[in-house]
Amino acid sequence: MTLLSVENLRVTFDTEAGVVEAVRGVSFSLGRERLGIVGESGSGKTQTGRSVLRLIRPPGRIEADRMNFDGIDLIKASERDMRALRGPRIAMVMQDPKYSLNPVMRVGQQLMEGLRRRDGMGKKEAHAKAIEALAAVQIRDPERVMDAWPHELSGGMGQRVMIAMMLIPNPDLLIADEPTSALDVTVQAEVLSILDNLVRTRGMGLIFISHDLRLVSRFCDRVLVMFKGKVVEELPARDLMKAQHPYTQGLLNCLPRIGGPREPLPALDRNADWAR
Amino acid sequence: MALIEIENLSVTFTAKGRPVRAVKGVSLAVEQGESYGLVGESGSGKSTILRAICGLAPVSGGTIRIGGQPLPSPRGADFSRRVQMVFQDPYASLHPRHTIDRTLSEPLAIHGIGNTDQRVTQALKDVGLPPNFRFRFPHQLSGGQRQRVAIARALMLEPSILLLDEPTSALDASVQAETLNLLNRLCAERGLTFLMVSHDLAVIDHMCDRILVMQHGQAVEELPREALAKAEMKTDYARSLFAASADRMLDA
Amino acid sequence: MTTLVDWLRDPSPTSRRQARLGQSYLAWLRLKRNHLAMIGLAIVALLVIVAALAPWITPHDPITQNLRERLQPPLTAGHILGTDDFGRDILSRLIMGSRITLFIIALVAVTAPVFGLLVGTVAGYFGGWTDEILMRITDIFLAFPKLILALALVAVLGPGMENAVLAIAITSWPPYARVARAETLTVRNSDYIAAVRLQGASAARIIWGHIMPMCIPSVIIRVTLDMAGVILIAAGLGFLGLGVQPPMPEWGAMISAGRKYLFEQWWVATMPGMAIFIVSLGFNLLGDGLRDVLDPRNSGK
Repeated sequence: MTLLSVENLRVTFDTEAGVVEAVRGVSFSLGRERLGIVGESGSGKTQTGRSVLRLIRPPGRIEADRMNFDGIDLIKASERDMRALRGPRIAMVMQDPKYSLNPVMRVGQQLMEGLRRRDGMGKKEAHAKAIEALAAVQIRDPERVMDAWPHELSGGMGQRVMIAMMLIPNPDLLIADEPTSALDVTVQAEVLSILDNLVRTRGMGLIFISHDLRLVSRFCDRVLVMFKGKVVEELPARDLMKAQHPYTQGLLNCLPRIGGPREPLPALDRNADWAR
Repeated sequence: MALIEIENLSVTFTAKGRPVRAVKGVSLAVEQGESYGLVGESGSGKSTILRAICGLAPVSGGTIRIGGQPLPSPRGADFSRRVQMVFQDPYASLHPRHTIDRTLSEPLAIHGIGNTDQRVTQALKDVGLPPNFRFRFPHQLSGGQRQRVAIARALMLEPSILLLDEPTSALDASVQAETLNLLNRLCAERGLTFLMVSHDLAVIDHMCDRILVMQHGQAVEELPREALAKAEMKTDYARSLFAASADRMLDA
Repeated sequence: MTTLVDWLRDPSPTSRRQARLGQSYLAWLRLKRNHLAMIGLAIVALLVIVAALAPWITPHDPITQNLRERLQPPLTAGHILGTDDFGRDILSRLIMGSRITLFIIALVAVTAPVFGLLVGTVAGYFGGWTDEILMRITDIFLAFPKLILALALVAVLGPGMENAVLAIAITSWPPYARVARAETLTVRNSDYIAAVRLQGASAARIIWGHIMPMCIPSVIIRVTLDMAGVILIAAGLGFLGLGVQPPMPEWGAMISAGRKYLFEQWWVATMPGMAIFIVSLGFNLLGDGLRDVLDPRNSGK
């Protein structure tokens, strides 16, 4: 069953220096599965993720032949309909929790705000639900975290709170944009396994956006590799090592390896033809 | 005698009136021509050690010696010509209102070194940037190009020691590869001594001969490069750090 | 023309001068899109042109009295804006007065911001006791209302244009020091300052060559926005008879002279009032536009 289908998505920005095409004709479809979008900075992977929520600000423009989410036409939907989708049905986790949490509001209040406003829950009920959500992301003393200010949380803790907050309304689709890139390696693994577990047990669709091919391949079923606004290769994650496209191979090979040889690392050949 | 000797170094900041000990009694020694890596997670104090060497962090105890001599405070002109640093974020380490030319010629002007034109063009060539970049501003360059400029700037005074503070963590993987290759080439050509900080074990392994694992401001374990690849670490923390980077192993 | 534009837009300039001019050209393009700022710029440019050509374009002598033609209303033959109580042509006096206004503005603009910038960057860069002492002095100056302090200074120094300028300059530097210090504090811990310190640069070199360029845009914006206030204080001093002395045609003094006839011969006070209003507006519009162009916070990319 298809949850989201996108056909020929384009994102363009009108700037002083002329028109910049950030995404140029990307198509993909997504069921209740985990899709990875990989690329280097400027490849358009973030803009692709944001377009699904129509979160591109002017002078940026979104165009697509088709962009359907569960029977809703995302291109034609009114801004009001989009607001109803964002959060309850499609949620997003961004890179740095520092910038995603409101710094002048306690964590608990932020978690409960949606529950009380949107779902009209009483204070007690919302509190219980928020505690439950924090427990789901394996926070050991949720009561203390509820009373904390965002700046008192470590990076890993902040990102867990963000994930908890996004998953409270039980969305159908989660878009995670570099959710662990700002975290230390040992914390990264923990946060990822929590995320993975939640997505799997709740049967959500996941779009995982990252620059790290290996990481994505571990956590996704399918991978799209983007270069300069286009998808250059789409492949099942388990076949990553059999990638055909030279760009994908280049991305895989240019990372240094522990115990690898001391010779120069292979440079990535950025052939402009791929972007045609 | 080692080129860089750090003995029992402590750095204490004052934050909101309370002292915070960022580095607690760390000792290390780097030989001439060696590449030495400091690895650890955020808050381990690894970058603070580099800043302390440069006189940019408040040293509260211990000694730092370069070539057997304790460092004067303030560091002085001789130090500038021996030790230079490349910073983590190439978007923050170049003056936004100075052209590349100004950025590269500033150290020459400070030390009264002439022949500016020729030295600046040669420096651009050495780091693999086209000569027509000379009068551009940093915002007209990509992250990788900026980091090349930062490396060129660090080498303008022909130092023998280069301190590298996460020089590639803000860059894309492919640009990281190019930058690491550049650093290794320059190191071989000029016989530089590297003291490098990174959170990425694979990068440290690729670049460094010896590695010091740090946690909470303390040295946890020192490892030669061979021991890292064979996972021969003695402490639990070093092992957990290694395990978290397992997908960066050669045969992964 | 196109070759000049191409030269300015060249992405790889071949000299420092070309690089800098190219950047200025881009800033100019950005400013040009802001219509209100262009109106402001036109007003300021007009003020400069009129002041430069003043002796040649005044229809009458602005100082010679002609009591037979006193208090003529606007649009009388030969006197488009009417005459004042000594029969002097108001338009001519306004045109001559633009020189005085511009002189005061220019003198204040080159003294107060420079002094403020120096105090602010030094205080911000060194911090500690230097900062403490310099900023407390600044606070003392800020604690007095501007006009009162200027009045007191002129009262001590004696009335006259030079003293008025001095008084205005002394009262208007503290805000620049504050702006420059705030900007310095955000810049001084940045990596590019650490890099130049590591190269062995002296404090003077760092402040002058590396920190000041980062503070100048915010100070320039502040200066243009403050110019309206400077004109008003100068006019206020003139109005109270403490600034430029008669028969010099200073706009504030002209309003003061017209006050006696405000109900019957309204134009005597209104015309210089309009001049002050228009020039103040021009500077404010220009300042707003410059803020969008120069503000370092949005010129990063």
